[in-house]
Amino acid sequence: MKRLLAGLSVLFVLFLTACSSTDSASGTTEDGKTEIIFWHAMGGELEASVNEIVDEYNSSQDKYTVKPVYQGSYEESLTKLNTVAGTADAPAVTQIFEAGTKQMIDSGNIQPVQKFIDEENYDTSQWEENISSYYQVDGEQYSMPFNSSTPVLAYNKDAFKEAGLDPEQAPRTYSELKEAAEKLTIKEGDKTSQYGLSILNYGWFFEELLATQGGMFVDNENGREGGATKASFNDEKGQKVFELISGMYEEGTFYNSGQNWDDMRASFQTGTMAMMLDSSAGIKGLVDNADFEVGVAYLPHPDNVDPQGVIIGGASLWMAKDIEENQQQAAWDFMKYLSTAEVQAKWHVESGYFAINPAAYEEDIVKQEWEKYPQLKVTVDQLHDTVPSTATQGALISIFPEARQQIVTGMESLYQGEDPKAALDKAAAEVDTVLEKGSRSR
Amino acid sequence: MNDARELLPVPSQESRPKRNLFAFLEGWLYLLPSIILFGVFVFYPMFRTIYLSFFLADQMGPFEFVGLENYQYIVSSDSFQSSVKATILFVLYTVPAGILLALFLALLTNEKIKGIGIFRTLFSSTMGMSVAASSVIWMFMYNPSIGVFSRIAEWLGFPAIQWLQNPDYALLAVSLSTVWMNAGFAYLIILGGLQNIDTHLYENAKVAGVSYLYQLRRITLPMLSPTLFFIVTVSFINAFQTFGQIDILTKGGPVESTNVIVYSIYKDAFINNDVGSASAQAVILFFCVLLLTALQFKLGERKVHYQ
Repeated sequence: MKRLLAGLSVLFVLFLTACSSTDSASGTTEDGKTEIIFWHAMGGELEASVNEIVDEYNSSQDKYTVKPVYQGSYEESLTKLNTVAGTADAPAVTQIFEAGTKQMIDSGNIQPVQKFIDEENYDTSQWEENISSYYQVDGEQYSMPFNSSTPVLAYNKDAFKEAGLDPEQAPRTYSELKEAAEKLTIKEGDKTSQYGLSILNYGWFFEELLATQGGMFVDNENGREGGATKASFNDEKGQKVFELISGMYEEGTFYNSGQNWDDMRASFQTGTMAMMLDSSAGIKGLVDNADFEVGVAYLPHPDNVDPQGVIIGGASLWMAKDIEENQQQAAWDFMKYLSTAEVQAKWHVESGYFAINPAAYEEDIVKQEWEKYPQLKVTVDQLHDTVPSTATQGALISIFPEARQQIVTGMESLYQGEDPKAALDKAAAEVDTVLEKGSRSR
Repeated sequence: MNDARELLPVPSQESRPKRNLFAFLEGWLYLLPSIILFGVFVFYPMFRTIYLSFFLADQMGPFEFVGLENYQYIVSSDSFQSSVKATILFVLYTVPAGILLALFLALLTNEKIKGIGIFRTLFSSTMGMSVAASSVIWMFMYNPSIGVFSRIAEWLGFPAIQWLQNPDYALLAVSLSTVWMNAGFAYLIILGGLQNIDTHLYENAKVAGVSYLYQLRRITLPMLSPTLFFIVTVSFINAFQTFGQIDILTKGGPVESTNVIVYSIYKDAFINNDVGSASAQAVILFFCVLLLTALQFKLGERKVHYQ
């Protein structure tokens, strides 16, 4: 009994010491190299691709070592970062999605990369302006764009042929979209074996459909000129989006594919619906996995509206503030490496994300890939056709994650027969409350 | 622990107070590990949560004292009311069904038959499955395009139901998977309780020639009541704290129909960065569970028969 107790107390002491001595997140390795941690949210095949790029960086020079760590989805990795941000344990480089931009800036725990750009007179004009401007506030570059994507309309060309539609002529306006969806919908008795269209219940798609009409998500020029105080997405433009979804759902041509990207893509591949909105980063996987021909087209817009293009989605890389000087240098060096044309070309080809350095599109591997997957080029063209404005720059608010949940709840209530305007107004009222509460933060 | 004391010299009358003090300190020493563990991992977080619920706070800590504002905001918000409704429904769907299922399976396998071990292993096997793994399996089964439930519905000629996308079914679907996940644990506990019942009682019943149902009502259930009481209490608390399957299957949607209080706390604290509101919800949940458990002990325990 005594011995057992003694043993237990030894274990207990060991346990306590184990708790207190957490490893420092980054430091200097034995061989004199500076080691930094890189948190990212790229799962699956993308993770392999990120690891490969990091390995190549590590062997390309002998001063720094980067350790990539997968932290789950964008939302999850932001959540995890919040718990260590501002401490010495924070990762030197973290990949954060576009909606977390304002939250990161406000947190005060990040080092804007502008400092290093100025120090070195680094030429940022080589970057794709439509992408880097998203991460610029008041002329200051806060983070380094890394992976960017835009929404596109993906469609089943075989189903288009069967329905008597021109597979090379994808619908562009809402009325064309509705018409095509009607033709594509196949009903057998009271069962629908093929729906026309599906849009994932995800706030990002709503933001995009709003921006392409030149609509603002929040007031004060999308929160880019002074802080946002009120939601503005419940205007006519926002209503058009909700009316489209609600109308098509009632007609039985719209399929509700839930909130899960993989579920939506699985439904598309099994032919549950013939058209869907997807991220440009998902196109390559779709083309590879579908047993029919996949077409890709620009995001649709309401009739009589001049399409403004798209907001870039995806993520950028943020540098931590409270870390050693040499680690910041390592982080900056790694970021510069990532934005070179060669690395971006490889990244674009493997992931389907945009190259943030347009010179990458001139690389041979990209040209070859575009011949194999002409769909990828459509996504790049759409980005280049975008008209720069505060609408297509996207909203800058710190409460983005919550605002997106409200939009999702609004979209979901449409399937329960809620009136589009009422659903939007309710979401807007919730976002107003949260904005008001958010403005009281430190 | 008594052997430690036996080794001490027998104290004389004069050293009594000293000995008492020593025993007192010795007692504390034995308690120390659990006091430290509970203090660090239970009591400190608990008091910190109560403290934070009176502040506007983000993940870096509190920054503005607001008194009861968080509570007022919560009580008046539609979202919290639907969370309360979802939580109560979830508890009602999962606890009785889970316990009845486990009891039924345990009664079935409480016989001494060849090969019964296989069934006992099967029925308790869900205990060995992690919530995450089982949730992913259920997610595939519920998938409207490729899931097995849709296939069966199609085969029977019914239209496929979007289990997790339809607010009318989502909570039921999550509850069904939860019943399955929790059945293994409840089954094991109840089977253990059944095995503990004195076999003489059944022999007497046999001699008296009573029916199976009479035997169940008059012998098995009363003798099992302490076990049942335990499992009911634990299941209630578990159901109130369910998180994993909701996070994986529905993320609180659609239209907040599965946004149970614990999930709402998680969303506010970690996604919306509103720790004050999350803490206030946690405090409310804590007192609800406390009240319910106290009620159970007061009302339920009267019916419990301890041998």
